[in-house]
Amino acid sequence: MDVNVPPIPQTYDAYRRALRDFIAEHKPALEWKQRTGLRVPDRARDVELLRTYVRALYDAGYVLDRFSAHSGDPHEQRILEQELGAAGVPHVLGNPLVSGALRHFGTDQQRAAHLPPMARGDHIWTQLFSEPDAGSDLTSLQTRATRDGDDYVVVGQKVWSTWAQWSDYGYLLARSEPVEGPAGITAFILDMRSPGVDVRPLREMTGTTDFNEVFFDEVRIPVANVIGAPGEGWRVAGASLAEERSAVGGGGGADPLQRLVDLARQHRRRGQPAIRDGAVRQQLGDLAARARIQRHLGQTVATRAARGQMTAADAPLTKIWFSELNLEMAEAALALQGARSMAVEGDELSVDDGRWQDAFLYARAWTIAGGSNEIMRNLIAERGLGLPREPRGSW
Amino acid sequence: MDFGFGDEQELLRETTRRFLGEHQPIAAVRHSMEERDLFDAGIWRRGAELGWTAMLIPAEHEGGSVTDQPLVDLVALAEELGRALNPGPLVPCNVVADAIARFGTEAQVKEHLPRIARGDVACAWCLSGDGTPERGAVEVSATRVGDHWRLDGVARYVHAAQDAALLLVVAAHGEGTVNLLVPRPSAGLSERGLTGLDLTRRFAEVRFDAVVVPHGDALDGGWDVVERSLAVATVLQAAESVGAADLVFESTVDYAKKRVQFGRAIGSFQAIKHRLADLLIDLEGMRAAAHYAALALNDSLPDAAEAVATAGAYVEDTFAHLCGEALQLHGGIGFTWEHDMHLFVRRAKVNQVLYGDGTWHRERLVELTEAATPAGGA
Repeated sequence: MDVNVPPIPQTYDAYRRALRDFIAEHKPALEWKQRTGLRVPDRARDVELLRTYVRALYDAGYVLDRFSAHSGDPHEQRILEQELGAAGVPHVLGNPLVSGALRHFGTDQQRAAHLPPMARGDHIWTQLFSEPDAGSDLTSLQTRATRDGDDYVVVGQKVWSTWAQWSDYGYLLARSEPVEGPAGITAFILDMRSPGVDVRPLREMTGTTDFNEVFFDEVRIPVANVIGAPGEGWRVAGASLAEERSAVGGGGGADPLQRLVDLARQHRRRGQPAIRDGAVRQQLGDLAARARIQRHLGQTVATRAARGQMTAADAPLTKIWFSELNLEMAEAALALQGARSMAVEGDELSVDDGRWQDAFLYARAWTIAGGSNEIMRNLIAERGLGLPREPRGSW
Repeated sequence: MDFGFGDEQELLRETTRRFLGEHQPIAAVRHSMEERDLFDAGIWRRGAELGWTAMLIPAEHEGGSVTDQPLVDLVALAEELGRALNPGPLVPCNVVADAIARFGTEAQVKEHLPRIARGDVACAWCLSGDGTPERGAVEVSATRVGDHWRLDGVARYVHAAQDAALLLVVAAHGEGTVNLLVPRPSAGLSERGLTGLDLTRRFAEVRFDAVVVPHGDALDGGWDVVERSLAVATVLQAAESVGAADLVFESTVDYAKKRVQFGRAIGSFQAIKHRLADLLIDLEGMRAAAHYAALALNDSLPDAAEAVATAGAYVEDTFAHLCGEALQLHGGIGFTWEHDMHLFVRRAKVNQVLYGDGTWHRERLVELTEAATPAGGA
């Protein structure tokens, strides 16, 4: 048993230095304030600066495996992940979920036409899955795609699409087959500049606009843009959603804990630093333990994946663990700030310019998006434990 | 990275499970519990042949492990004993073996380790007067009299003291601590068996009334010996709890699939499903915490202390919660004496307060996290 990650040989130091220099030289100065979570720029100029940055990386050969047709050197890949992550600006533009769908179900032509431009920041993608009346019950979606000659004609409405306001392409699920339920759903590649596509940014509880509503008024999609086969959309989506869930569960755990300890030192409770309060210490101890276990659950699941022993419960389980702990840590941070926790970004009394207040509000994106935690619990129970399916009303 | 048991450890689990299934299944534990005779020296010796007490003992003293990670081997084994609610002194025997192997003199090592490895000598660990791992809670005092130590006082909540032939006694000596090996029986040594909540293990209050042991029977170390023993005990008990929780969880899922009410298996109701999903999350968290603690302690990783505190903070409280939920999901049948569920509830409740409770380990983890957080900003 071990959790060793093979050390990166010293011979890669030059690669790391060159990459660091490259990032320092090309990293854009954004007007947009960076916040926790998967957030989306609110200014067109920032999006263009980010595209230029990602293009420069791509053209210099700095490409992550998930966007590449062939896998790169594993050490270089790790350095790339580390350094791009540490840069503090996004290096993945849009929602890259479709890459998994194209890899598993796309045609060679679709892969060639879309994967490299996605990696280069030339094509920003959005996901067009959820609808106002089809959230957790995604297979009841009602957006229609009706065959008309060499095209499908799409009518309907989507919601919760990140990056849609800046997107070039959409990964769309629509009902094309004359059956209810999952068998009627088809996955499409949609050119977001097609006539009849109307994107309306949606302001969320955070006060920011990280999601959009998207309306389709007789939008035409060529038949060649179907991913997989007609009626196969649910399977296509299932493969890519599983990837998203394990990606969501992969967040780090220990660092936020040190921030909490720091808050507990700075803020007072009953006349003394909160860190000396027994109840505070117990709560911090509980969060610290669960943050550490989150890392070990990640190691457990990675090992099962490597051994080919993943279960249907693994990805939902890590998603629930991460998202609920993340919320609780933000709540604890606010509690530590006492009455000052009412001051948010922009107020001179705010702590760390309202970082934790925003994290607290945004935390609900993790517990609800990517399949709500209630759906995750259904998946664990039904697919992981083999409990009987929930009887459904009708398709 | 390979964060799971290897083939040899899986084989060890299988062998242990088969042995317990044949020789000491829960039904047999129940029987001996009713007879108030939980320790079977014969089975303990046969268990010792399968490595129950040998893993932390070097090969030259008749010990030996399956892999080069003895503590991880032992955790694989402990999970199986926990799963079968085994009453045996697995934790104290291995704690004492480890302490002697690490801190013992050559004479102590030669005298005790082979006999513990063979299962001829069962051990108990007399930690403190109130069961907590605190210096201030140690109620046995050691006084130097010539070339002997004289022990006076009491240790309570000692697992399997009634079955032990060798006690490791934590005693206060002035401001310091001595760890003494005391044979049982000895003059002045007595114990009173507790009427206990956990029906599948025995605990005792051990009294020392001018017990005299030779000077040479002290281990080479003070409170550091206690810290090490506490870490080993925390990891092994966590492993027993993981194994027990595994069985409790499996049985509860099976029951939810079979039990029909309102014309449906109760496991088809979302109110039940979501609770079972939560219990799986709890169980996987317990396992990950226990396994990482074993790995970190065995390999002396830099975060071994944090890893052990994490297991102590999470595993036993979660085990107790899981058993409570499992009992509730079983409904009336779980409330009967005949059903095994209450035995697990009882076991879990007692594990919560042994070797430092959750509160104690959470406090420890915060101390360690504070030390790792520089003042003035993370």
